[in-house]
Amino acid sequence: MGSSAPGSIRIRLFASLREQAGWGERDWPLAEPTTAQQLWAELGLARSLDGVRVAINQRFASADTPLESGDELAFLPPISGG
Amino acid sequence: MDRPIPIEIRLHPERFDPLELLQHWEEGLLEAGLPRAAATSSFIGRVRAGDGVVALELEHYPGMTEAELQRIAASVSQRHGALACLIEHRVGRIAVDEAIVCVAVWADRRGPAQRCCQELLEELKHNAPFWKREWNADGSSQWIEGNTPL
Repeated sequence: MGSSAPGSIRIRLFASLREQAGWGERDWPLAEPTTAQQLWAELGLARSLDGVRVAINQRFASADTPLESGDELAFLPPISGG
Repeated sequence: MDRPIPIEIRLHPERFDPLELLQHWEEGLLEAGLPRAAATSSFIGRVRAGDGVVALELEHYPGMTEAELQRIAASVSQRHGALACLIEHRVGRIAVDEAIVCVAVWADRRGPAQRCCQELLEELKHNAPFWKREWNADGSSQWIEGNTPL
């Protein structure tokens, strides 16, 4: 939040998603209006978005929410707490 | 409007003694001037032994996990009319038998106390960003997606 470069967003992956991708955090240029769902396809991760939850600026959000410059977007694999 | 009730939430990177924390929580509420509640319900969850698992690792999303726990606690407590609530949760690597989670609720009666405690636990297991990884004796590990049966 506020830590990504201008005109970009910060993408974060957690747990199994991070390990599958080989990275946990990166800045991504926001050239045109996009959503988490569209970005997921662009990231080319070998997994469908089924069961993966999206958070924008650390709040659960719908995958078709339009992203804004400076947003922190996180993809969260199925939760297993407690 | 109902007044906000005392809610305490902590994430622990090191092992904790749940009984000590429960006692400390009650003492704090009494010191703050709250009358002792007629009903207290609590739950302590520990790392299960078996299947060659020697430890769990619990990853979280710093900032969001705390915020979600706070949101869950406020909403569930209010729904059940609880008087106070506590959530203590481990993160990081946790050995077999160590406590992972401790939830406690003060209420007027056993019904709301127990229902609130159970719902808090279920909510946090399904909706607070935590991810478990099991570590085996041979050094291998696997991420757990989803929860154990109720």
